[in-house]
Amino acid sequence: MNKSFISYILLFVILVLIQILLLNHIVLFNSAVCLIFIYFLIKLPLNLSPNIMLTLGFFLGLFVDIMSDTPGLNALCCTILASLKKPVFYAYEQHDDQKRNVAPSIGTMGFFNFCKYIFSLSAIYCLLAFFVEFVNFSDAMQILIKAGASTVFTFLVILAIDSLIYKN
Amino acid sequence: MRNLLNFIIKYSTWFVFTFYVLISCILLVKSSDNHFSLYMSSANAIGGAIYRTSSQVTDYFGLLAVNQRLQESNAKLENEVLNLRQQLSQYKVLVQDSSADARSERFGYVGASVINNSIRHPRNHFTIDRGTSDGVMPGMGVVDQSGVVGIVDATGKNTSRVISLLNQNQHFSAKIKNTPYVGSLTWRGEDPSIAFLEEVPRHAKFHIGDTIVTSGFSTTFPEGIDFGTVMGTVKTSDDTFLVLKIRLASNFKTLGTVRIIKDSLKQELDSLKNIGKYE
Repeated sequence: MNKSFISYILLFVILVLIQILLLNHIVLFNSAVCLIFIYFLIKLPLNLSPNIMLTLGFFLGLFVDIMSDTPGLNALCCTILASLKKPVFYAYEQHDDQKRNVAPSIGTMGFFNFCKYIFSLSAIYCLLAFFVEFVNFSDAMQILIKAGASTVFTFLVILAIDSLIYKN
Repeated sequence: MRNLLNFIIKYSTWFVFTFYVLISCILLVKSSDNHFSLYMSSANAIGGAIYRTSSQVTDYFGLLAVNQRLQESNAKLENEVLNLRQQLSQYKVLVQDSSADARSERFGYVGASVINNSIRHPRNHFTIDRGTSDGVMPGMGVVDQSGVVGIVDATGKNTSRVISLLNQNQHFSAKIKNTPYVGSLTWRGEDPSIAFLEEVPRHAKFHIGDTIVTSGFSTTFPEGIDFGTVMGTVKTSDDTFLVLKIRLASNFKTLGTVRIIKDSLKQELDSLKNIGKYE
């Protein structure tokens, strides 16, 4: 428990640093950005109390917001994502007590289910983030393209990182 | 009372969720409150320290391009100095008055480097490594070697946050060079090299390629600093005003070194503006 606690803190710090120092400056094809810090929310174990999950989500988003000068944007989206994490997980997985206290990964969910799980969460997050940020719905097509491209980019990077870190 | 407590505990998740969403929404809407926004911006102590450290490393990668641009602007400035010296020596013979020198010292510059920059948001900001200890105050203009890049927004001790020209909420007073036609320059998102000059009078005369410069109507920028060049007009539904498409002079993707403009008359002019309000 203690060991995993420290590894989650490390994950939090590393992901936020990678996001603000590196990925905030990378925009592929003028539209796709990688929002890697949501990997922290994706990895949180499912038996975590919902209140703690929401709190972690909020502060994760708030910290990214402060560093990238978008006050409130990521905090709002991360809070919503933290609340949607459980329903999305159980949309692809059966209720199984053995799996409740481990972090979702390729090993615990199987490759295809895990892909579906992280793709859904990335898609939800990117759509939310871009619609909240651009506010006006007049150029919805443009926002959809950006959100779609960012979803794919985020999904691929998260999948790559997860398969690198957790061998079997 | 017991029932109320039970109710709160039972639905605590909903309360926590609503609470966080409310705070986020307040932050989203009220991001321009100055004192508070310093702590919520990359200009605070932690953010400044992180970005300083990272820019110490990443600055090396852009040195070649920065060097080239500095040399170009150096050459331009040297030419100008020579030119002005020549003119000055001509005028010194004619005029024995030194009052013109005092006026030229109204604006001062502070050099700074950009330690964090963004161009992908609709409302962009960047962070520079100068703060209140260097005399930087909110409301000061920021330029780079090619032209205007932004206005200081929140200042920490050693870092400041700057509202980029690429910020949909920020308008700049601009005019077509060598004409009296003034408009409002704004960025509309998408392309970081294109902005729009709005509210230009319909009868304004201009050519494609004309330079757009600061109007000098505010204490933020002196008159005549470049914004960019005219690319053409944009069709609008409004018949009374023209909208011009502007190619920006500065390259916002590679902002390196910038200068902050200090106006020594700022306090005086601002207090003059306030006089009318007491009547």
